[in-house]
Amino acid sequence: MAKPRIAFFDFAGCEGDQLQIANLEERLLDILDHVEVVSFREVATNHSDDYDVAFVEGSITRPEDEIRLKEIRKNAKVLVALGACACIGGINCLKNFLAENVYREEVYGASARWFPTYAARPLKSVVHVDAEVHGCPIDPNEFARITKELLLGRAPWIADFPVCVECKQAGNVCRYEMGRMCLGIITRAGCNAACVSEGAHCWGCRGLVPGANLDAARIVMDRAGSDRKATQDLLRFFLGDTGAAL
Amino acid sequence: MTTYTVYKEQLPELFETWSRQYALYVPGKLREGFYDLVPWKKGQEIAWEFDVAYNSPKRFLLPPKEALITFNRETYEAAPVFEAPPQILFGVHPYDVKAINQLDQLLESGSPDQNYVRRRDATVIMAFEPLTVSPPAFWASVGAASVAHGYDLYWTKIGPASFTVEVGSAKGEELLQAAGTVLPSTPGDKEGARRAKARILAKARRNGLRYNWEETPRLLSKCWDSPLWRRYSQMCLACGSCNLVCPTCYCFDIREEADDALKKGVRTRYWDGCMLESFAKVAGNHNFRPKAQDRYRHRYFRKGKYIYDKIGELGCVGCGRCVRACTAGIANPLKVFNELWEETAHEY
Repeated sequence: MAKPRIAFFDFAGCEGDQLQIANLEERLLDILDHVEVVSFREVATNHSDDYDVAFVEGSITRPEDEIRLKEIRKNAKVLVALGACACIGGINCLKNFLAENVYREEVYGASARWFPTYAARPLKSVVHVDAEVHGCPIDPNEFARITKELLLGRAPWIADFPVCVECKQAGNVCRYEMGRMCLGIITRAGCNAACVSEGAHCWGCRGLVPGANLDAARIVMDRAGSDRKATQDLLRFFLGDTGAAL
Repeated sequence: MTTYTVYKEQLPELFETWSRQYALYVPGKLREGFYDLVPWKKGQEIAWEFDVAYNSPKRFLLPPKEALITFNRETYEAAPVFEAPPQILFGVHPYDVKAINQLDQLLESGSPDQNYVRRRDATVIMAFEPLTVSPPAFWASVGAASVAHGYDLYWTKIGPASFTVEVGSAKGEELLQAAGTVLPSTPGDKEGARRAKARILAKARRNGLRYNWEETPRLLSKCWDSPLWRRYSQMCLACGSCNLVCPTCYCFDIREEADDALKKGVRTRYWDGCMLESFAKVAGNHNFRPKAQDRYRHRYFRKGKYIYDKIGELGCVGCGRCVRACTAGIANPLKVFNELWEETAHEY
């Protein structure tokens, strides 16, 4: 069997997820045995439009992004969204809570009218996405695992339960018991509760867990006594494209 | 079995001796109001007054993540992975000993869980009579205030610097004598232990079921259609916290990962929980408990009836951990069972 040809693309984002892949370093060499990378701007100069799997980073923020993404979708047999911006819109969606003229002038200043933009959105709002590697940034180990599962022809395992599960596995003291706010109760796991284990709280970067009970979560957050504004800011930070953001 | 009296000043040497051969865990303070079994090191302060270990002791016997087999995709060979480090759990409250006894029964019966059995065999349990009661705990009312077996040694603090130690196994007795002679307890010390137990039992009884716990399976069998399940489960976040902190929940999921060369791989099990939405998802994407309400009810039936039907005791030892862990405030076996009892009171 010919090696699958893979390509990396990016839209509005920091290319941090591709950097995480480059960070696999020596492990990358083993994985590259099974694939042929035809396009990876961050680490190589070659480029080809003949590929089987497209890994796409970043969110869609301009009308012309849509045309390019649809072209990528047409070329690829499998399209994998990479990171929070691509999977859930991520922090780019913060601008969706501002008036268009406000954020355009903020970014482009006097030449704002030369640059058409629209509300930031995840890839799945534009094209069909076959698999998602969540997180901001992505976890290189999870990327490697999902890639291997695709290579073996298996449906990738993607956590479908909230971060609380991984916090309990890690033995962390619950942020709510410490009187703090945390989005782990509605956020998709898979990060091994990285932020909570390091003493912070969950920011929701992996998006909503399927079936998230948002009504209950709002009551829980209200009971925790944080002010509404702080809760709103936290919910908008990564989850701006979801029903969670107030 | 013999009861010995041990003095506080003998402990450092005992701990030191044990820690040479065992991974030794003792109650420690994590932060104000939070305690857990922590690795012992020289100078470690023991939190004698701990009300409950934040994490249940099941993690020492059934780790959150455990490799089961390694396999080779080319030769189709597989080999079991067994890890069973010798360990001493010092300071396990009786309700947690009861939970471990229950895991022993459930995991060692039928087709024994080899990984569990090996870890259990390598584990020494040193029970400790509680000195305080965690506010949501109700162990005194579910038959978990004392245990007759399941410990190697049972420690009771009878004074500011003295303990009685009941022997539960030959191994325990040997470990107790490992750092010099300890003397059998005087009748006075034994009386002190009896009083200490009575004192904590009186405190624990302030919170409890309003009926005899043995009625629970019968109670539940009348409550399948109770409106309570919906009322509570509306708030359920399906986060599985109540399952995962439970000392008697033992369900797990199995996943495999290949190495980067795609030649070998490891099969690993992870803690799972029946409150998670995908727990009951089977082939063809069918979910036989798709709603939070179904799952919520299932957990209480599991704790109050299904386990009882198997082994004759409740699957809940009243530790109160799920009550604390539930951010939505709905996981509460005591409240649920008591409310169901009141709901059906007219039927008795």
